[in-house]
Amino acid sequence: MNEYLPLKGIRICDFTAVWAGQTATMYLADMGAECIKVENPFIWNPMTRAASPRINAMVAAILPPWIAGHPPEPGPRPWNNSPAFIQVLRNKKSFTVDSRRPEGLEIVKQIIRSSDVIAENLALGTLEKLGLSDEAIRRERPDIIILHMPAFGRTGAYVEGRGYGAHIDSVAGSTILRGYRDSSPSDNAGIFAGDYWGGMHGAFALMAALRHRRRTGEGQVIEMAQVESSAHMFPQAALDAAWNGRAHRSVGNRSIEGFVPNGVFPTAGTDRWIAISCRSDQEWRALVEFLGNPAWAASPAMATATGRAENEDAIEERIAQWTATRERDELFHALQAAGVTAGPVLHAGEAAEDPHLAATETWKRLSATEDYPEVDWLRPAYRFTKSDIDLRTPPCLFGEHNDYVYRDLLGFDEDTIERLRAAGHVAGTFAPEALENG
Amino acid sequence: MDALEGLTVLDFTSHLAGPYCTKLLADMGARVIKVERPGGDPARALQPFLGDEPGPDRGATWHYLNTNKESVVVDLTKPAAGGLVRRLMAGAQLAVTSSAPRVEQELGIDYARLSSYADIPVVSITNFGHDGPYRDYRLSDTVLYAMGAEMYSHGLAHREPLKLGGTAALLQGGAMAAVAAMGAITAYEVHGVGQLVDVSLFTVQISNIDRRSSSILAYRFSGRVQQRPQGAGGLAGGVYPVADGYVEVTATAGNYWRRFVDMIGDDALRDPRWENPMTAMDPAAKEEADGIVYPWMLSRTRAEVWDEARKARAMVAPIYDGADLFGDENFRARGLWTEIEHPEIGKQPMLGRPYIFEKTPWRIRSAAPSLGQHTDAVLGEIGCSTGEIGRLRAERVVA
Repeated sequence: MNEYLPLKGIRICDFTAVWAGQTATMYLADMGAECIKVENPFIWNPMTRAASPRINAMVAAILPPWIAGHPPEPGPRPWNNSPAFIQVLRNKKSFTVDSRRPEGLEIVKQIIRSSDVIAENLALGTLEKLGLSDEAIRRERPDIIILHMPAFGRTGAYVEGRGYGAHIDSVAGSTILRGYRDSSPSDNAGIFAGDYWGGMHGAFALMAALRHRRRTGEGQVIEMAQVESSAHMFPQAALDAAWNGRAHRSVGNRSIEGFVPNGVFPTAGTDRWIAISCRSDQEWRALVEFLGNPAWAASPAMATATGRAENEDAIEERIAQWTATRERDELFHALQAAGVTAGPVLHAGEAAEDPHLAATETWKRLSATEDYPEVDWLRPAYRFTKSDIDLRTPPCLFGEHNDYVYRDLLGFDEDTIERLRAAGHVAGTFAPEALENG
Repeated sequence: MDALEGLTVLDFTSHLAGPYCTKLLADMGARVIKVERPGGDPARALQPFLGDEPGPDRGATWHYLNTNKESVVVDLTKPAAGGLVRRLMAGAQLAVTSSAPRVEQELGIDYARLSSYADIPVVSITNFGHDGPYRDYRLSDTVLYAMGAEMYSHGLAHREPLKLGGTAALLQGGAMAAVAAMGAITAYEVHGVGQLVDVSLFTVQISNIDRRSSSILAYRFSGRVQQRPQGAGGLAGGVYPVADGYVEVTATAGNYWRRFVDMIGDDALRDPRWENPMTAMDPAAKEEADGIVYPWMLSRTRAEVWDEARKARAMVAPIYDGADLFGDENFRARGLWTEIEHPEIGKQPMLGRPYIFEKTPWRIRSAAPSLGQHTDAVLGEIGCSTGEIGRLRAERVVA
């Protein structure tokens, strides 16, 4: 494999937290940037390395798997094995420093001087409080690219607004659009689609700015308010409101494009479902034929999109009756072979075992460490035929690259490093007060 | 100066995912030449339309996805189209396709063919990639989300799994392809390599983090499968009704709970017992807290609740719909909305910049093109004479 890593030689000083920011820098790390995660042993950043620093097997078992499906024994460093967070740490380096103290800030500034990008999505004003305003950052490195990813913007009425993914999805217009047609939004469970959407747009913006810098030598500041980027995930609803004054609500699993049928139907077994969409008359005819041309479906009223839209409830009911006794995966393959768009509702375990994902090398097995067992990890979502964009190094453990940063990058001698270790900057674990507050 | 100035993208994509990818490039200054099929991109037929009146230049989805692009109509099924594609490729630094693997070959826009014309990066967006057992399977937004492993845990335990709103899953694929495209452009400009970039929409869904990649890793670590919840929220968590709609609340034990209580301002909630994690899971306790929280919420509007929440730094935000986003003066003043102008629809509002660049602005240079609006100009640029263009039109190779 040739290397040809697009961002080889680019260094990121990474102050990102939670998901959106850490995802943005992950995409760049995948592309070959050296992403140095700045971690403070005295501060537990909520929802950044684990739900809680004190998680143990008992607590983990009562919390939902997506956030707390740690290995059966999370061990003394659960922040190195939370499934919700550590996979956005792949291909990154972690070093620790207490940047609130002058000597710590000076260390951060030294990193900034050799960095091409600084990225953050901390609560508004956090970097400024540390003494790292845009101006201060640019004094260290005039051509740096600074990416801010605030929740609701760095200017305007909502600068003080706090939020995680759920709140960003709420304001961006995502939450109101999902849910059952017959129940209120208060039945909605949290989904955080805006987080990785924001991460993608942040990464895209950074690479555009890097191109501008290659051509002109000029760095710049980018502000990406997560709620504003997320609003772009639902352009149909936003523009129907702006153009026609129509406010969209949830359509359940129906299609906003008017495809009928479009939904999720029960199959044989417990909690097994299949999604089916007919996006054209041709797909509808294929489905009708597959069903054996029953009289209800073969009626002329059903032949057109308009006719099907008028009979949507009845069509859904008939299909659900029909699928309910069929085996899901047989139906999936048979419908696809017949020219109907259909697919199983896969749960996490099924996705992990899916034959197509295995055949297309979606996963890569990494060795066990003291903190997690040997398992298959996700590789980046796309395949480049020449650039070696891959899962190259496992998720960085807390403080794993202190030696690299302090010794190789900053060139500190042993005495200095020992002094910084004694002062708590160089650490392999969080300080007790951080654990207490976490 | 635009960040992607000087970059020409040959865009063979249609519908939603591919055009979103090239829109991100176009809006930052790339020249995107959209090679449209005769009759046009099917996205021209997608609702909603201005005034609910259909028309190829009247759709909001179409206009949104194709700002700043040029339209050249070429019938790729005609043998003579191959020569045009070859000449168009010679002036491009990136090509993007979104046809199924078999169709790519039929249309002569597969990687082997395109790279024989010019050794530039080609981003190929497909349903399931170019290999594997599902390679030729069909996808819709709903099926994509279903197979992406998060639908299963979205919704309520006793009901069917639920999808996201709109066509989010397809657009996510387009956004991921845009990240890949920037990587490919960078590799081309820095290392001089062209290459195929294979973007599978299915793999994008599986790979991302609205709990699904977390849920998959959690399954590998713990053997536990993320289920749909029995009901919403724990103690003061989830969606609450207010006087004019709903708000989203996170008030987990610790700081978030204390800030939430500061916002509500009722001393009964300051009792330390509320901070016991076991209390948070007790339905009776939730009912008791809700007895205080509901009246407070229902006597305030979303705007009032959000004002109070920001003062208290509480994790509470209003649930907006499209009209709220459009009407919000703050987002409008910041530039979330802009305008397009097009002969068919006049001046209309358009979603504006998703990010603010200090030096290289996101900007609208032109509204989405009419079908074949740029056919003559672009064919002229690649050296077709007026006579040749006339002949190609007569043979229905171009339009």
